[in-house]
Amino acid sequence: MPGPYPGRAVRAHSEKCIDSTTSRVDVPTVRQMMSDGIRTLTHEKTDRDAWAHFVGPKDVVGIKLNCSGAPQIRSAPEVVGVIVDNLVSLGIPPENIYLYERFLDQLTSVHYERYVPEGVNIVAIETPRGSVLGYDPRVYVEVDFFGEDDTRSNMIRLVTERFTKIINVPNMKDHQAAGVTGCLKNIAYGDFSNVARSHSHEKTNTFSFIGTLASTEPLRSRTVLQVMDGLRGVWHGGPFSQYPQFRFFPKQIVFGTDPVAIDRLLIDVIENKRKAEGALSIWDRSMENVKRGHNEDIRVNHFIREPGHIEFAGKLGLGVYDISEIKVAELEV
Amino acid sequence: MIWLVAAILPALAADAPPDAVKLQAPQVEYHVNEASATTSPWVDANGWQIVRAPGKHFYYDLSASKIPSARVAPLAAAEAFVYGAQASIHTDQAGTDAFNRMLDFLKTIPGADLPVVADIGVVDDGSDECGELMNMLARRNLLYKIVTAPDPKLAVNVSLGSKEYPKEGAADPSMLAQKIRSQLGDEHRSLRVYGSEVVIARLESDGAHARVHLLNYAFRPVVGLRVRVAGSYAHQTVRAFGKPDLKLQDAAVSGGATEFTLPDLGTYAVVDLTK
Repeated sequence: MPGPYPGRAVRAHSEKCIDSTTSRVDVPTVRQMMSDGIRTLTHEKTDRDAWAHFVGPKDVVGIKLNCSGAPQIRSAPEVVGVIVDNLVSLGIPPENIYLYERFLDQLTSVHYERYVPEGVNIVAIETPRGSVLGYDPRVYVEVDFFGEDDTRSNMIRLVTERFTKIINVPNMKDHQAAGVTGCLKNIAYGDFSNVARSHSHEKTNTFSFIGTLASTEPLRSRTVLQVMDGLRGVWHGGPFSQYPQFRFFPKQIVFGTDPVAIDRLLIDVIENKRKAEGALSIWDRSMENVKRGHNEDIRVNHFIREPGHIEFAGKLGLGVYDISEIKVAELEV
Repeated sequence: MIWLVAAILPALAADAPPDAVKLQAPQVEYHVNEASATTSPWVDANGWQIVRAPGKHFYYDLSASKIPSARVAPLAAAEAFVYGAQASIHTDQAGTDAFNRMLDFLKTIPGADLPVVADIGVVDDGSDECGELMNMLARRNLLYKIVTAPDPKLAVNVSLGSKEYPKEGAADPSMLAQKIRSQLGDEHRSLRVYGSEVVIARLESDGAHARVHLLNYAFRPVVGLRVRVAGSYAHQTVRAFGKPDLKLQDAAVSGGATEFTLPDLGTYAVVDLTK
């Protein structure tokens, strides 16, 4: 990261990609969005040539899912299925493809196995939750936030020992601590242990921790593609999705290699939706509006939000934050 | 009810001496709906009381514990063993059977007369505040020992009521323990534990041989516990209660420290490290 396309993103939108009433995905339309998006990003005429920019037959590919809003809001299995189909078409054996997420209960609720060929690995890292065995004891970020005794966050062992490439598939979501959660949050907090310790009471250290984790090797260099699934989204109360009234349908998929640029676009998607709904701005830092246990109130913040984590990640070299320097190709399918 | 005695090696006994010091049932309490200074679970551990009263007899009355006796009795026995206490344990038949299984395990641990390792000296004034401070230090695996006067060989010496550690500062023992930790510096700690907040460790070493005792106060396994010990030890051997085939993972010796992972920690394990 930021890869070969810093400051660039392709946004494929389609009104018919998902039914806003039933939440049913129109698979042919999604396939078209995926094809148009990846080919536009790479300037290639075929899907095969486009995907070959990022992976090859000898790669072992991890697909970083986001299932924290599952079962309703998660990396859409229809999108993930298209990614896997393209990897297999390139000659990557299904056994060398891994769909992964940290927590088993969230992952299994989606049933990805119904959308991918037999042999593809579907792996939860923490089984049981809290286990450190799925993490590499040699690779960690060490920091003391609130006096916690366990000051290490270790990188997932599959990332350090098995994967040669990673494709990141986040959602478009509000995040009560980080402001929004997109590419950076998913690849950072989703690939390390012991990260919830960065929040305590109203304070969260997501401002600097997200970018720091995302820039840690080998995660940084092995993450070669971002496919932000915005078919569905969460505009308040994220990253979870226990309140149906806060779900919405951006009906888009965003492609790129620059997580900062894509997340910068995400800020506008979430902020505009919140503004339209009368919710607090994600930039609101007033302590008067911070209350615990009021997740259903759109005029209340759970934490002091830190959407500035995206700009901070840009300063770490992970991508382009300045909106005037980001070139977005808009596709209508 | 049955009285058991846990000493260097536990044995059955008919009763506890009348002057024995009462200990609480070792366990973890999860008070998720109560406000507290820390989100960490509350560990009811007794090591600090045992080291505070050397030579005393202790007793655990487990009859009122909500934890099944078959779980808590072995932990009490292991705790007494780790701290070298002579202790009586009041339990029922199920607790006795479990106690005896722990006893069988403890007999397999080779004797080793190793000094206890400490980074911090605590001048014990006998006050409740000082006791609670030692409790907090133990729960955070900040290795301390009781001293009669500041020991220049230790990195930090704490004397409540001194200018540096005024009595009023002990009103929040958790904050005080954190202050002491900061003064010591994590990089200078002789032992670190990663991956659990419910494991309390005790370290003994003569420089050539180190022994790490690991007590799990939750009554469920800790799946994956990373331990770091100051000093370079090429050989590591683990003995774990109820898990005779347990092997250490990812052992590493670098930077003047030795690290290893216990993939599965039940009630108690002991790790021997040698050069």
